[in-house]
Amino acid sequence: MEIAILVLLTTFLVLLLLGTPIAVSIALATLLTMLLSVDSGPATTTVAARMVAGVNSFALLAIPFFILSGYLMGQGGIARRLIDFARVLVGRLPGGLALVNVLSCTLFGSISGSAVAATSAIGGFMIPAMNKQGYDKNFNTAVTVTASTVGMLIPPSNILIIYSLASGGVSIAALFIAGYIPGLLVALALMIVAAIYAKRHDYPVDDKVTFKVALKKTFGAMPSLLLVFLVIGGIVSGWFTPTEAGVIAVIYSLVLSMFVYGEIHFSQLPHILVKSAETTAIVMLLIAASAAMSWVLSFENIPQHLSQAMVTLSDNPILILLLINLILLVVGTFMDMTPAVLIFTPILLPVVEPMGISPLHFGIMMILNLSIGLCTPPVGNVLFVGCSVGKTSIAEVIRPLLPMYVAMFVVLLLVTYLPFISEWLPGVFGF
Amino acid sequence: MAQVVSALDAVLQYLLIALMALLVLDVSWQVVTRFVLEDPSSYTEEIARFTLIWLALLGAASAYRRKLHLGIDVVVQRLGESKRLIVDVMTHCLVALFAVLILIYGGTKLVMLTLQLEQVSGVMGVKIGWIYMALPLSGICFLLFSLAFILEKLALGSSPDMPDVRPAE
Repeated sequence: MEIAILVLLTTFLVLLLLGTPIAVSIALATLLTMLLSVDSGPATTTVAARMVAGVNSFALLAIPFFILSGYLMGQGGIARRLIDFARVLVGRLPGGLALVNVLSCTLFGSISGSAVAATSAIGGFMIPAMNKQGYDKNFNTAVTVTASTVGMLIPPSNILIIYSLASGGVSIAALFIAGYIPGLLVALALMIVAAIYAKRHDYPVDDKVTFKVALKKTFGAMPSLLLVFLVIGGIVSGWFTPTEAGVIAVIYSLVLSMFVYGEIHFSQLPHILVKSAETTAIVMLLIAASAAMSWVLSFENIPQHLSQAMVTLSDNPILILLLINLILLVVGTFMDMTPAVLIFTPILLPVVEPMGISPLHFGIMMILNLSIGLCTPPVGNVLFVGCSVGKTSIAEVIRPLLPMYVAMFVVLLLVTYLPFISEWLPGVFGF
Repeated sequence: MAQVVSALDAVLQYLLIALMALLVLDVSWQVVTRFVLEDPSSYTEEIARFTLIWLALLGAASAYRRKLHLGIDVVVQRLGESKRLIVDVMTHCLVALFAVLILIYGGTKLVMLTLQLEQVSGVMGVKIGWIYMALPLSGICFLLFSLAFILEKLALGSSPDMPDVRPAE
């Protein structure tokens, strides 16, 4: 047993540090661990079979659909109409366009599940617009980067679907509803920081718009917002499975951006399909490899041993949760969210469940925690995309990012120690 | 070699478009039969799951060709150029090892085993072995792409390499 852990961990870490793709590192480490106790023939076929079994799931199909609809929305003029609507709502408050930016990212997150899509779709419009009004471009980029991660918690969210799988079947619908309040809290916290910063630098706010214009912009955003009711309403009421809701989101955003807004041309579709297929495959290969690894983990009883080791450190849930959060923050700075959730959920969930922490609450905490990592160097996809959209460098964005990290961390502590923030709303809906 | 790889790449792209479109059409059809025709189709779910398996494995090879897979390059980026070249070649060799051992060897054995046992799928009665064929096929693509990368790196020698920027999703 000890040898198995040692072989698995060392192989995985060495391969990882060499820069081998994470999914390949997981698969090879798993194979090597199996070879300790099984012959090469059955070991290779078992890993291969477990990988296929890992992606042979109807629930996972929601992921390619939300990826595809995300691409369609990013290019289809939907983002711009959401921004116009957000401007009507909060453009005149202190912080003006910074608040508009956060709200737009939140709205975009409520119809799409990808933080990177939000960064490029919303940031692509908002950062230049804010620059023009005299806002500092590093601040603008920092706002976009952090606000984009709100969509990880606000459904539809691919990462919540992946957590549902990794946790062994927490209801996707329950997770989706549970994400709203924590997601909105992060948005609120970011808005407060942005407003204070903007006030201090005397940034301008939007002029008053006439009621007629406000009405027009609100109507413009309605078709996009209707998608929220269709997709989330459908899932929560049990009308659609998440997978069916995903395909409805695809068809809806396709019709909206091709035929209503006319902003995607038929000739662009093959490219969008290939990009979505590749993005899907990256996630699926990770899921496949992790499925093989978790089979070996449970074959060797590794999660139980690790859990016991952690519990011997302390049996105080407050300390254990703090420790887990710190571990995850470090993991998040180095690793992307999907592999982190796939690798650490089966290990950490058995530690906290006996302490009375529900898988639902733990999932929301974990996603929020890893969202912070998306905005930190050295590995932070959203940060990288944000810097290239904002035409600035990581070193320059870090300063305005610091207060926003603090804001996210405060919300993380609230979510960690006040379970009702994530559990109350699903309870209302009967989960 | 270069021609084989770019031809393979093009074929994969077309396959991915077809598989992705098939997924959308298939599940849309499921929704239509369930809500409009009120006669839920029984085979759409199985088609969708099998399509996803093929899409995942072939798409993963294509994503490897474009260096899209998530990895940790913090350490590698700190190395000097010549050391980095060695590590780069090594990681592509590891991908080749993964392709040969798990996807090609393990996958082929799995295909033969399930064909021999005549395992069939629950609804449509498709031979499971054909579904598993995606493993060795993806393995061959992975292997060819990794060999191409290795040759490319070795040919480059110590000449300055383009930084491997990880593109956005």
